[in-house]
Amino acid sequence: MTRLHKMRVSRGSPAATAMLLLCCASSAAAQQAVPPAVRYDQHVAVGGNPPPAMVPRNPFRGDSGVAAQGGRLFSGFNCDGCHGGGAAGFVGPSLADGRWRYGGDDGAIFMSIFFGRPKGMPAFGGTLPAESIWRLVTYLQSFQPPDSTISTTRW
Amino acid sequence: MLPRPRTHRALTLAIMMAGATGCDRAPTTAADDGQWTMPARDYAATRFSGLSEITAANAKDLRPTWSFSTGVLGGHEGQPLVVGSTMYVVTPWPNVLYAFDLTQEGYPLRWKYRPFVDPQAIGMACCDIVNRGAFYADGKIVFNLLDGHTVAVDAATGREIWKTRVGDLNAGETTPMAPLVVKNRVIVGNAGGEMGVRGWVKGLDLGTGAILWTGYNTGSDTDVLASPATFKPFYQTGNGLALESWPRDGWKHGGAPVWGWLSYDAELDLVYYGTGNPAPYNADRRPGDNRWATSVLARHPGDGSLRWAYQFTPADNWDYDSTQEMILTELTLGGRLRKVLVHFDKNGFAYVLDRATGELLSAEPYVPVNWARRVDLATGRPEIDSTKLTGATRGVTKDICPSLEGGKNQQPAAYSPLTQWFYLSTSNLCMDFEAVSTTYLAGTPYVGASTPYTAGPGGHLGAFIAWDPVTSARAWEIKEPYPVWSGALTTGGGVVFYGTLDGWFKAVDAKTGAPLWKFKVGSGVVGNPISFRGPDGRQYVAVYAGIGGDWFLISGDVRSDDPADVRAPATFMPDIARHTSQGGIVWIFGL
Repeated sequence: MTRLHKMRVSRGSPAATAMLLLCCASSAAAQQAVPPAVRYDQHVAVGGNPPPAMVPRNPFRGDSGVAAQGGRLFSGFNCDGCHGGGAAGFVGPSLADGRWRYGGDDGAIFMSIFFGRPKGMPAFGGTLPAESIWRLVTYLQSFQPPDSTISTTRW
Repeated sequence: MLPRPRTHRALTLAIMMAGATGCDRAPTTAADDGQWTMPARDYAATRFSGLSEITAANAKDLRPTWSFSTGVLGGHEGQPLVVGSTMYVVTPWPNVLYAFDLTQEGYPLRWKYRPFVDPQAIGMACCDIVNRGAFYADGKIVFNLLDGHTVAVDAATGREIWKTRVGDLNAGETTPMAPLVVKNRVIVGNAGGEMGVRGWVKGLDLGTGAILWTGYNTGSDTDVLASPATFKPFYQTGNGLALESWPRDGWKHGGAPVWGWLSYDAELDLVYYGTGNPAPYNADRRPGDNRWATSVLARHPGDGSLRWAYQFTPADNWDYDSTQEMILTELTLGGRLRKVLVHFDKNGFAYVLDRATGELLSAEPYVPVNWARRVDLATGRPEIDSTKLTGATRGVTKDICPSLEGGKNQQPAAYSPLTQWFYLSTSNLCMDFEAVSTTYLAGTPYVGASTPYTAGPGGHLGAFIAWDPVTSARAWEIKEPYPVWSGALTTGGGVVFYGTLDGWFKAVDAKTGAPLWKFKVGSGVVGNPISFRGPDGRQYVAVYAGIGGDWFLISGDVRSDDPADVRAPATFMPDIARHTSQGGIVWIFGL
């Protein structure tokens, strides 16, 4: 009885829809329901053959001169006010630790800056041209992540 | 040098006698109703509870009687309320309001109220997602949501009575402060001095939530509600004081927010509050005194009209907010009993002002200070050491004391009528200050400074002190290894309570500072202890554990909830994460 009740509650929810798709993965109708060309690496796959992903590439990746320019943008557009000097974390999370809430590949970092993120990250897409955002991405990719184990020998 | 006014202790209060019985497990005083219905317990902001069952003699027997995880990890500043047999707790964002039934074993919830609070506020709030507490009035619990709303909730049922948008989150305005309710006015203010907001207070109707007046802290006399007929600052004359002390349009994004505590004198019918820093930190951008940033303002609560104002740090170069509480008491000064306001500023001076007129009566350092030599009582202005001035053109200014964490920050002091001393938590930090040019972008930080900290004289990073306003000196001091960031509580039993950043909650003797008891509460304490009488007639003490506020930003790795945010240890206290991590717990202690 309890179980039946739970199933009724979940009907029509995203989880239930996903289950439905999984069960019917072999049907042509269900496959057509998947958007053909959009996939996010950070999303959890439910099986089947993933459609080809759209993978934006940072045109400046590894360019230390561009990284330095990005560092100046990082201060000039007040990014350091939230993420701290050297992006080491302050009000907002560290961006220098090699770890990413919303994905750390080129495109994911770009999208975070362009569209903003829900816990207070503003959208800079209307303020900064794409090239400047890529310079910021290059700066953030230039850090050597710190040791993530804080051992007592540090004290 | 002008002579310091001679001060004498006010006459004893009746409550002192009640508290001095010293009788173990004596019934609590009739003078205290055992409740805690507003943030600082009373309008004078004393944080003194007359309850006297817990004494210096029996405090060693204190034990935890109850605890509750709030389920929230943000900095737990503020304090619970106890109204009748219900305890109310507001959490940091997402600002859940819990109502606990103190009449039943385990204090189960009567109800809880879960508002929607925009998660964008998490990144807009300068200094963690704190909430400084609620206010009980007329059957309602009134408090602020972090995203710029004020709500009133039925204290009996948890039903939302009204919800008013008071701030603009997109402009960087957040609302972490605790409202003050006077008669049928709810008075609230905005935070965002680091986002270049324009500071204000608003008066809302307690019944409906309608905004009845808005008083800005900067700008034209009209906006500031400064009418020549009623606005009489002690040290200035003329019109446009909050306009002409700024460069053109600087006041529009000039900060002067209101994120601290308010107090109220019913006889004068004046509300007192302090304002935060002028924006941006880079002082080169804002030549002038920048009134009324870093000031105390006295307003009439009915219509918001400004009656007087006094600026503690003109042309603030150091982020010395003045949002700390204004404690109201009476002192005999120069043979004359005066109604005073006592304020421990971030800038390191303890100020005594006549609260009817705004006249400065004394200002003495309560922590090591080197940015100013003294405060001139004739002009009300500090004598600044010009080598400590900052600004983008000055490069790095070294070794400024206190740091921008302040001699004291948000953590409110307490005043005991028994000892006639103030009790407060302090930081012992100094800083270098490198200002850089910065551009105003709505909804992003408008700061422009790098300010590394170092330990102040003595090497310890904080202290809990008793301050004698008569001698302008410390009556006693307890050194602590870390900055002390909790509020203080004093009681009729002669006991003082405070918590530490490394997670201890302590009871000490109000007269001597002798340690009486301590308990490890699970996370650093940045909240404020309260005392109440339970339905069983016994005295209890409650406090939040939950490190945060500025210490969320700068303590290094004290969070464990986000695998994508790992931080290096803080340079000036690299080992704090050995002793505490984030957590939100409500504790109650009793005998």
